Amino acid sequence: MSEHAVVGKRLPRVDALEKVTGAAKYGADINFPGMLHARIFRSTEVHAKIVGIDTSEAEKLPGVHAIITQDDIPTGRAVFAKDKVLYYGEALGAVAATDPDIAEEAADLVKVEYEPLTVVQDVMESIKPDSPNLLNDKTKDGPRRRVITRQLKKLSKVTDEDNSAEIDRLNTELEGLDDEIYYNVAGETHESAGDAEKGFAESDIVVEGTYTIPRVHQVYMEPHVSVAHAEPSGKLTVWASTQGHFAIRSGIAGVLGIPLSDINVVGVTMGGGFGGRFNIQATHVPAVILSQKTGRPVKAQLTREEEFLDGRPGAGCIIKLKTGAMNDGTLVARKALAFWDCGSVAGGPIANTIRIRGVYKFPHLQMDAYAVHTNKSGTTSYRAPGAPQAIFAGESQLDEIADIIGMDPVDLRMKNMREEGDQVPAGAIEPIVGYKETLQAAADAVDWWNRKKEPNQGWGVAVGDWTNGCGPGAVYVSVHEDGSIRLFHGSMDITGTDTAMAQIAAEVLTVPYDQVSITRGDTNSAPYNTGSGGSVVTFTMGNTAKLAAEDARQRLLELASQRLNTDIANVELKDGKVSLTNGDAPKSLSLGELAAYSLSTTGGPIVGKGSLSGKLSAPAVAVQIAKVEVNPETGTTKVLKTVASQDVGFAINPIAVEGQIEGGVVQGYAWSMMEEMQYDEKGNVNPGFVDYRVPTSADIPRIESVIVEVPAPNGPYGAKGVGEPSLTPTLATFANAVTDATGVRINDLPIKPEKIVNALKSNGNGSR
Amino acid sequence: MRKHPISFTINGDLQELFVEPRKTLLAVIRDTIGLTGTKEGCSTGDCGACTVIVDGEPVTSCMLLAVSANGKEVTTIEGISSPDQLHPVQQAFLETGGYQCGFCTPGFIMAAKALLDDNLDIPEDEMRHALGGNICRCTGYTKIVEAVLSAAETMRANA
Repeated sequence: MSEHAVVGKRLPRVDALEKVTGAAKYGADINFPGMLHARIFRSTEVHAKIVGIDTSEAEKLPGVHAIITQDDIPTGRAVFAKDKVLYYGEALGAVAATDPDIAEEAADLVKVEYEPLTVVQDVMESIKPDSPNLLNDKTKDGPRRRVITRQLKKLSKVTDEDNSAEIDRLNTELEGLDDEIYYNVAGETHESAGDAEKGFAESDIVVEGTYTIPRVHQVYMEPHVSVAHAEPSGKLTVWASTQGHFAIRSGIAGVLGIPLSDINVVGVTMGGGFGGRFNIQATHVPAVILSQKTGRPVKAQLTREEEFLDGRPGAGCIIKLKTGAMNDGTLVARKALAFWDCGSVAGGPIANTIRIRGVYKFPHLQMDAYAVHTNKSGTTSYRAPGAPQAIFAGESQLDEIADIIGMDPVDLRMKNMREEGDQVPAGAIEPIVGYKETLQAAADAVDWWNRKKEPNQGWGVAVGDWTNGCGPGAVYVSVHEDGSIRLFHGSMDITGTDTAMAQIAAEVLTVPYDQVSITRGDTNSAPYNTGSGGSVVTFTMGNTAKLAAEDARQRLLELASQRLNTDIANVELKDGKVSLTNGDAPKSLSLGELAAYSLSTTGGPIVGKGSLSGKLSAPAVAVQIAKVEVNPETGTTKVLKTVASQDVGFAINPIAVEGQIEGGVVQGYAWSMMEEMQYDEKGNVNPGFVDYRVPTSADIPRIESVIVEVPAPNGPYGAKGVGEPSLTPTLATFANAVTDATGVRINDLPIKPEKIVNALKSNGNGSR
Repeated sequence: MRKHPISFTINGDLQELFVEPRKTLLAVIRDTIGLTGTKEGCSTGDCGACTVIVDGEPVTSCMLLAVSANGKEVTTIEGISSPDQLHPVQQAFLETGGYQCGFCTPGFIMAAKALLDDNLDIPEDEMRHALGGNICRCTGYTKIVEAVLSAAETMRANA
């Protein structure tokens, strides 16, 4: 974009030097004299009553300073298990000692007596009446049962006509629906548009399938960590590696029952998050309470094994999906029934099951989703929570339809895509979107309609979508006497968002990028900020930085018009100075001169302010095409090519945008082909990188990113959320490519080699 | 626990310490010496975040007991650049955007440096396998591989 000087440029990040030299301080790099080290002690049972916890031996170990359990939580809010444990590795309490190894030894000396209970790990077992009731949940009605119960309720209110025959019929149907009473349900959501059953009846073809998507860990490289210091006055400081230090502040205040003003949270450089770094229980609360008990700074840090056992990973689910279409490829109806495994904590991205609608015009849509408890740790967000799972099911089924009616998979998608002004099924009216442009860009990049393949090779395409939010955020911009610019804010940077803000301020104030610096404040000093999740940061903080810089620009123009004794309409900011636009003699004032002048004016120093929330974004779309080769003997899949196009609105920093796309694709690839948290009656069986393998540079070749820019009307320079869309189509892309290569479809992720070999055996052939 | 006397050089400085036999080289580098650029990502030798160079070889320092480093020469991320000059590998990571959260970056840079010290002409596919002991969760490796290839080019030109 030639009209811009700084935004849209491939500039190094503001934190580049500290990152490549190892100077950046992460959570575990914070140390204080006299600091103690915490270690959590954990359940060795999967489901059991706690008969007693004996810490006496641990207390005797030299170097141990404090041991806490749930009894030490002032509000009684759940931090540690007290009466019963619901999964292997659940936290029971914590030890603080002078050395991490002593703390670990002490944790091992804690004796816990249990009374084991029946374990349930499978959501489809957990919903059955004979499963153990994990959290005393009431039963919930299945979709058909809900409909009948509602109809019966309605009919019972009608008194002026005789409905007894219909009531009898419905009651009879209800009695036959005993499998539609679900147990251990933590939550449910239901959405519909049109009439799905009617749509299926009108369709030429109807495809049905069950899709299983595993629970996976975010695998941020830095395990959870915090350092807490309780001062004698009662004031708390917490150095937290988190995606949102304001959220951590309110979380800690809630658990401790103390005012927000008693807690200062310092957000330190964070080693990845992907949605998993908002947790207060893992390390923050234990560190705080141990520091209160001992009066000393306490560091609490999880090991990688603890991350797997007691992290809050992304939820797995089972989706039963049905799609109806006409022979010409027109999509008519889609229906989903989803069961999300939320483990032992209510949650799971059930509402995002709606993503089965994709970017298509379904006249009829129905979605019923349930979150179901099992004996596993709770879950939380993982990059576009729920979307990759739902889109995997939806996009897999589109390829089945394309295959049955003999239509090209890209053509089928293009035919049904929504455009601006179309009705979103069970949603609003579509704003300006770049769905078709983005699909076309990916197809063009691989010359899709002339694509070639050798035996055992296959091509896969899929489309995913996501809309970023816009949380509250604020930025101050100061202009200093030497003309340098300083931004101050309270947003956690994971992905280069500070860099985007600095570029925007430089653009507005017409100064070189390296003249702008940026500082994140702690919760005591910075204005409130939303957490860095949901792809909100560049959208929110970019807008805010722009507002703040524009506010500063206005003040600069006012100062210049005063100084030059002219009307404000006669001055302009350009090339880092304010100049007269109507004078005969060229007169101008540099930003430094104006900043120095401001100090002697009644208006005082130049401070630009930007503050906003809740601005609407436009939906973003990601399209990915992969070419793979599958060895039919061994079932191993080799990725030959991956092209990822994404509508980012406007790429403020193309290096950062490409990085988000490339990273998302590889995470999605791993989810489809490699990663799975595995559980048996003993709990999680693969809590480490040997058994839970994540991709390395050897697993997948370079990702080719294609940036598409259909500007968001409200975005800073048109930018949309970038971090999450990149993962949404990937699971389906690779599944569709494997099917194209082998002729067999694996609906049960991850697509491990043995599944391919077995499917080929039962299918009786190899490639097609 | 009884401590053992050890001495080794780290980034050129001699360190003489008393350490418990259970302490890893990583723990000593970070907690005793206070060089926190080397990161702990898994404690099982699988993620590479703690990679340092010991006598010219890349080593996951979480898997080496500190007492085993006695008499050796250790280089960490803090030891490969000067205030006015980044190492070519660091410069290449900076320019290509071969880092995001940055947690794996010091280990990756040390592994890449050791690799290129050994072979400046390594082809991309071999290099991808050779760096397979370092996990990055953010970048998808595309820009890391570009960075290492670019660093190799610079180092070849300077050789």
